[in-house]
Amino acid sequence: MKRCRIWWSCLVLLLVLGAGPALAKTIRLGLMCPLTGSWASEGQDMKQIVELLAKETNKAGGLGGMEVEIITEDDGGDPRQAASAANKLVTKGVVAVIGTYGSSVTEATQSIYDEAGIVQIATGSTAIRLTEKGLPLFLRTSPRDDEQGKVAAKTIQAKGAQKVAILHDNTSYAKGLADETKALLSATGIKVVFFDALTPGERDYNAILTKMKGAGPDFIFFTGYYPEAGLLLKQKKEMGWNVPMMGGDATNNPDLVKIAGPQAAAGFLFLSPPVPADLNTPEAKAFLAAYQQAYGSQPGSVWAVLAGDAYRVLVEAIAKGGSTKGADIAAYLKTKLTNFPGLTGPISFNAKGDRVGDLYRVYQVDATGAFTLLP
Amino acid sequence: MNRLLPWGLTLLLAISPVVLDTYWTDVLNNVGLYAVLALSLNVILGLAGLFHMGHAAFYAVGAYTTAILNTVYGIPVLWTMPLAGLLAGLFAALVARPIIHLRGDYLLIVTIGMVEIVRIALINNIFGITGGANGIFGISRPILFEFKLTKPIHFFYLIWAVVGISAVLFRCLEHSRFGRALRYIKEDETAAAGSGIDVAHHKLLAFTIGAVWAGMTGTLFAAKMTIISPESFTFWESVLLFTIVILGGAGNILGVLLGAFLLIGLPELFRDFAQYRLLVFGAAMVAMMIFRGGGLLPPQPPRYPQAKVSLEERP
Amino acid sequence: MEEFIQQLTNGLAVGGIYALVALGYTMVYGVLKLINFAHGDLFTIGAYLGLTVLTALGLKEHLGPVAGIGVLVIFVMGLVAIIGALLERVAYKPLRHAPRLSAVVSALGASIFFQNAVMLVYGARFQVYPHDLLPKVVVNLFGLEIPLLRIALFVSSLVLMAGLYLFIHKTKIGTAIRAAAIDQGAARLMGINVDRVILLVFCIGPALGGAAGLMVGLYYGQINFTMGWVYGLKAFTAAILGGIGNIPGAMLGGLLLGVIEALGAAYLSIAWKDAFAFGVLILILIVRPTGILGERVAEKV
Repeated sequence: MKRCRIWWSCLVLLLVLGAGPALAKTIRLGLMCPLTGSWASEGQDMKQIVELLAKETNKAGGLGGMEVEIITEDDGGDPRQAASAANKLVTKGVVAVIGTYGSSVTEATQSIYDEAGIVQIATGSTAIRLTEKGLPLFLRTSPRDDEQGKVAAKTIQAKGAQKVAILHDNTSYAKGLADETKALLSATGIKVVFFDALTPGERDYNAILTKMKGAGPDFIFFTGYYPEAGLLLKQKKEMGWNVPMMGGDATNNPDLVKIAGPQAAAGFLFLSPPVPADLNTPEAKAFLAAYQQAYGSQPGSVWAVLAGDAYRVLVEAIAKGGSTKGADIAAYLKTKLTNFPGLTGPISFNAKGDRVGDLYRVYQVDATGAFTLLP
Repeated sequence: MNRLLPWGLTLLLAISPVVLDTYWTDVLNNVGLYAVLALSLNVILGLAGLFHMGHAAFYAVGAYTTAILNTVYGIPVLWTMPLAGLLAGLFAALVARPIIHLRGDYLLIVTIGMVEIVRIALINNIFGITGGANGIFGISRPILFEFKLTKPIHFFYLIWAVVGISAVLFRCLEHSRFGRALRYIKEDETAAAGSGIDVAHHKLLAFTIGAVWAGMTGTLFAAKMTIISPESFTFWESVLLFTIVILGGAGNILGVLLGAFLLIGLPELFRDFAQYRLLVFGAAMVAMMIFRGGGLLPPQPPRYPQAKVSLEERP
Repeated sequence: MEEFIQQLTNGLAVGGIYALVALGYTMVYGVLKLINFAHGDLFTIGAYLGLTVLTALGLKEHLGPVAGIGVLVIFVMGLVAIIGALLERVAYKPLRHAPRLSAVVSALGASIFFQNAVMLVYGARFQVYPHDLLPKVVVNLFGLEIPLLRIALFVSSLVLMAGLYLFIHKTKIGTAIRAAAIDQGAARLMGINVDRVILLVFCIGPALGGAAGLMVGLYYGQINFTMGWVYGLKAFTAAILGGIGNIPGAMLGGLLLGVIEALGAAYLSIAWKDAFAFGVLILILIVRPTGILGERVAEKV
C-alpha cells in the first residue's frame, strides 16, 4: 500500500505542475542562459541585464500597452538540459527567445524554436555553422568565429611574429577559432610550430608551457577561455618566459587580470568586441549607470551585454513592426532594422541572421591591469 | 487493488502526452531514455553486482555508430539500431575481458577511466569520424512505417514502447537460469563458483548484454536530438545512471523505473528554484538514501514454488 | 634532458597535491570501505575558507607571511575537519549498515550539495588569492630554475604526509585507527570506540584535503566552485593506483600520477594526457589488481 502511495503522489505532482496555463495579458520573452554549471557567472549577468532592461520598458509604459515579462530558464551550459529549457520556454508561450552563451548549447535548441515558430537571438554563440543552416528565425547579436580568425591572423602578422604557437581547449568554439587562424596563417608563410589543446578546469599548466617553450615560438595565441588564460600568463611569468601572448574573445573578462595578477597580465593582447567600459554611446552610458545603481557593480563581460542588445532589438521589432509573430519579427530585424543604436554599437542583421559590421577590436592589458583599446 | 495498479499507471502514462504540454512530454521522453539505460545498467550493477560507473561509454558508442552511419552513409536511423547495439556489445566485451576479475572499487575506477578515455577520444576526433567537440549534427529524423517522427509526442510512444519491451525482456532475464546465477554471484561469488557457475563468463556476459542495450538506446538518443556531441557522454552522465539504479533499488525493475522518474523528472520540478536547484537536488539525494538505505524499492527475495512437504508432516 | 627534468618537477608539484587529497580517500576507505565522493568538495571548501579567513583576519598584516600562513593552515584544517565530521554524522552514519553502494550515492549527493552551496555563498565567479602574499623567488637548483614557492608547496605536502604517517604508526590513537581498519568487531572487543575512530578519520582526512585546497589557492591563486571535482577524481585515481586503504600507497600513487600526466603531456599529446593517465592506471591494475603497493584492507569473505 505504501508503495502505490509513492507512485500516485509522483504522478499527481507531474500532472499538477504540467498544467500551468499561459496568460496572454503580457508579452512574454524567453531568456535561456546558464544559471548553473561552469558558465554560471555569464548567465547570472545575462539575467540581471535583461531583467533590468525589462523593468525600464515596463516603467516607460510597456510594449504597445502590454507589460513585458521575462521568463528565464537555466540551460546549465549543457546541450541536453538546454533542449529541456527550450521546450519549457515554448510551452510557456514566449514570443521570442534570447540566448544562449555556448555554441553547442545554442545548437541543441535551434530546431526546437524553429519548429515552434519562435525567433531566437543568440548572444554569445559564435560558431560559424549556426547561421549557415538557413534557419529563418535564428539571429545573433554576437559576431562569428571566421571574422575573429581574420582579425587574429592580421594582428599576428602585424606584430611581426614568425613562429606561432596556437593552443586551444578542445571546445567547439576554441578549436574552430584555432583551426581558422592556423589555416589563414599558413597562407601568409608564418609557421605554426605548436598546435595542441589543454584540458580546461585544471590549475597547473606548467607541463604545457614547458613543452611549448621547447618548440621555440615567438608568439602565443590561446583561443580558449579566461580562467585558463589567466593561469597560463601567471605560470609563464613564473617560468621567466617573456614571449608575447594573445587571446581570443573568450579571454575578455576582468577576472583574467585578477587571476594572472597585473604584472603577469601586462602586455597581454586579446581580441574582442568592445568591453563594457569602452561602450560610449549615450544608450550604453545610461545603461551602465543604471546597472551600477541596481546591482552595485559592472557587468562582467561584453557577452552578457549582448543579451541586453538582443532584448532591445526584440522590443524595437515588436514595437515598430507591430506584430509578435515569429516570422514578422525576424523579417523586421533582417530587412528593416538598420544601424539600430545598440549598447555595443550600431546593429543590423544580414539575411542569414548574422550581425553586420566589424565588431572586433584589439585590446591590450596595461601595467595597472586595465584593458586599453589599441588603435 | 495492487494488481490493477500497474495497468492503471500504464494507461495513465499512455494518455499523458495528450494531456501534457510539449515540455512535459519531452521530460517524459528523457525519463524514458534514462529508464532504458538504467534498466540495461541494472543487469550489470543490480543483478551481477559489478561496480560499474562508466555506462555512458557504451551509450556513446551506440549513438556515434548511428550518427556516422546515418550522416555519412545515409542509412535510415532506426535501421542502424542493431549495429549500434552490436558494436557497443563488442566494445564492452573487448574492454571488459581483462578487467572483469577486478574487485569492487578497482572495477569502479577502471570503468570511470574507460568512460573518460572514450570521451577524450571523441573530443579529439578519433579516426577523423567523430567530429571532435562539435560532435555530429544533421542526423535525420527516424521514419517508422512511412511515418516521420518529429515531435516529442511521436518520440514519446517510440521511447516508451522500448521501455516496455525492455522491462519485459529484462524481467524474463532476471528469472531465467542466467539471471539467478548472476544473483548468486552478487550474493556470494565464492559459493557461486563452488556450485559450478563460471563466474568470469557470467560477469562478462552481463556486461555485454547491458552494453548492447545501452548502444541501442544510443540510437534513440541520436534520433531524438539530431545532434550529438561528447558533452552528452561524460562521467557525470554515468554517475547519474549509477544513482538511478542504486537509489531506485538495485536489482528491482520497478525500482529502477521509479529512480529514473525521480532523478530525471524531479530536477525539472525544481526548475523554479533556479540557482538553488542543484543544491536541493543534492540534499534530496542524501535524504533519500538516509531514509531508504536499500533504495526506494529494494528487490524482494525471489519466491520459488513451495516444496510439497510441509513442516507439520515431519516427525 | 633538461626539459625532461623540468617536466619531472612539474609532475611532482601537481602530484604532491594529488597525494595529499588522496590520503583523505584512502583513510576513509581503510576504515569504512566507503568512497567519499564529497572529499573533492571539502578540498574546494578549504580553498574558499582559506581566502575568507585570510582577508577577514588580516593575518598577513598582523603576523607576517610565514607565521600568518602557519596560523591560516591550522585554522582552515580545523574548520574543514568540523565540516567533515558533520558530513559523516549526517550523510554516512545512518548508512553504516545499508548496502555499500547506498553510501556512495549519499556521497555523490553530498558532493552536489557542497559544490552548489559554495556557488551560492561565494558566487559563480572565480575568486583570487592576493598576489603579493608570498615572495616570488626563483631558486637555481642543479642548473634548473625552480620557483621557491613550488619547492615549498612540495615540501609542505611531504611534511603533512610524513606527519600523518608517524601519527598512524607511532601513536596510540593511530594504532586504534589501524585496528579499526583491519577488523571493526575485534577492535570493539579490545575496548576501542570504533565510532569515535571513524569520526576522527573524518576529521583528519578532510583536514588534509582542506589543507591541499588552501595550498592550491595560495600557489595557483585562482579558485572556483567546480575545482574539487577534477582534483577529487584525480586523487581517487591516485589512491587506487597506489592501493586504496594504504597510506604510503596514496602518496606514491599521487606523485606517480602527477609525473605520468606531465610526461604524457610532454612526449605524447597534451590533449590526450588524461586518457594516457587512465590507460596507465588500467594497465597497472590488470597486472596488479590491488594497486602498486597492494591494499592494507582485510577482505571480508
